[in-house]
Amino acid sequence: MSRISAASHPKLRPGCRLSESAQQGEILLIPEGILRLVGPGRKIVERCDGQRTVDDIVRELTTEFPAVEPGRIETEVTTFLDRLHQKGVIDLE
Amino acid sequence: MTVPAPLSLIAEVTHRCPLHCVYCSNPLEMQARECELPTEAWTKVFNSAAELGVLQLHLTGGEPLARPDLTALVTAGRKAELYVNLITSGIGLSEERLAGLVGVGLDHIQLSFQDAQEDAANEIAGARAHARKLALAREIKKHRLALTVNLVVHRQNLSRLEEMIAMAEELAADRLEIAHVQYYGWALRNRDALLPTRAQWERSLEVITAARERLKGSMRVDFVGPDYYARYPKACMGGWGQSVVLIDPAGRALPCHAAAVIPGLRFDNVQQRGLRWIWEQSSAFQKFRGEDWMPEPCKSCDRRTLDFGGCRCQAMLLAGDAAATDPVCTLSPMHGIVEAAVESVNGNARADWVYRIDPPSA
Repeated sequence: MSRISAASHPKLRPGCRLSESAQQGEILLIPEGILRLVGPGRKIVERCDGQRTVDDIVRELTTEFPAVEPGRIETEVTTFLDRLHQKGVIDLE
Repeated sequence: MTVPAPLSLIAEVTHRCPLHCVYCSNPLEMQARECELPTEAWTKVFNSAAELGVLQLHLTGGEPLARPDLTALVTAGRKAELYVNLITSGIGLSEERLAGLVGVGLDHIQLSFQDAQEDAANEIAGARAHARKLALAREIKKHRLALTVNLVVHRQNLSRLEEMIAMAEELAADRLEIAHVQYYGWALRNRDALLPTRAQWERSLEVITAARERLKGSMRVDFVGPDYYARYPKACMGGWGQSVVLIDPAGRALPCHAAAVIPGLRFDNVQQRGLRWIWEQSSAFQKFRGEDWMPEPCKSCDRRTLDFGGCRCQAMLLAGDAAATDPVCTLSPMHGIVEAAVESVNGNARADWVYRIDPPSA
């Protein structure tokens, strides 16, 4: 199993996409299940396009949330993506 | 009491099926082709479901491919902004038809396998289907469509569980669902031939736990155990009328696949009543929603918010009372019924089975 690193290119796997409906809140639809996204979850998932690296995502969110300490953003993004990877929701290319 | 919005719509678009699996979850009394809802009626159902908050549409049957309008149904589901999942045996899915479904935005396919060995698989299915399924799984992956391999396991195939998991890996499934047979419908009728022995059940748990660990990150492994061996019942459907609504081929709305076995419930039809009304107010969906209906020991049990007293249909089928504690629960006063079934299987040789038949034509 590949491990996540700053240089990994996270990419949503086939069958995983963000919900278009706002009715039930922020939701990631996955094969025969859903994941409820909280906090910056949606902003992270939106960026899992196989182009951006984990580092890129952290940098973009640091710009978007200047009040939050960058180290904390890095930890949160990495932990969250690692969890998504373990659930088989993203590939790390 | 506030009623939560449902998350999933299970659309049983037909009861017709080319397979005759001995554990089919369809009711013994099936709906004939002539009663099936037309495309426009299903389209309306999908739109109402999305308005109600449903996110995922599971097209199932019978075999949904038996519907010539399946591509139109998938299109309608996506237009309603639903995540569309096709639950299929794969029989009837040509390369052209698959490409068409992918083209209109099908999100995911769940393809069932009966075994890893061709002869054994075909015997359970009562049809020569296994080789076609293998070829189809490869075609699905070529389209980069998300694939779940569904393995229904039971006494006759559990000894080949590792082989079956290896087959799913070889097919590069995105997700693997290993489900022990649940005893309703045809499966209950064939229970004595299907219920695993205790040793088999324990071994299957070890195999699955190891596979899950090994496949982390490449293939999600979901598992449904045989509740006859559980200490507490399953949280059936996430609770009655809590997150799932099922529409049968004729348009009747039910809280689950088996609810028709409960006498005295009236299942309203989406052709006569709006789906929102059915979900929020119809008597069938209210019947076992929440905790008011619960008997002891459920009523005062700490687990009532975890498993909701178990399965109402199983309580009906085993205890003869849909409002009883699910007899698989070790706290149920009727648990002896389940113990007897388990005991008889652990001392017995194979029994014969009855194949699922197709719904009658009018």
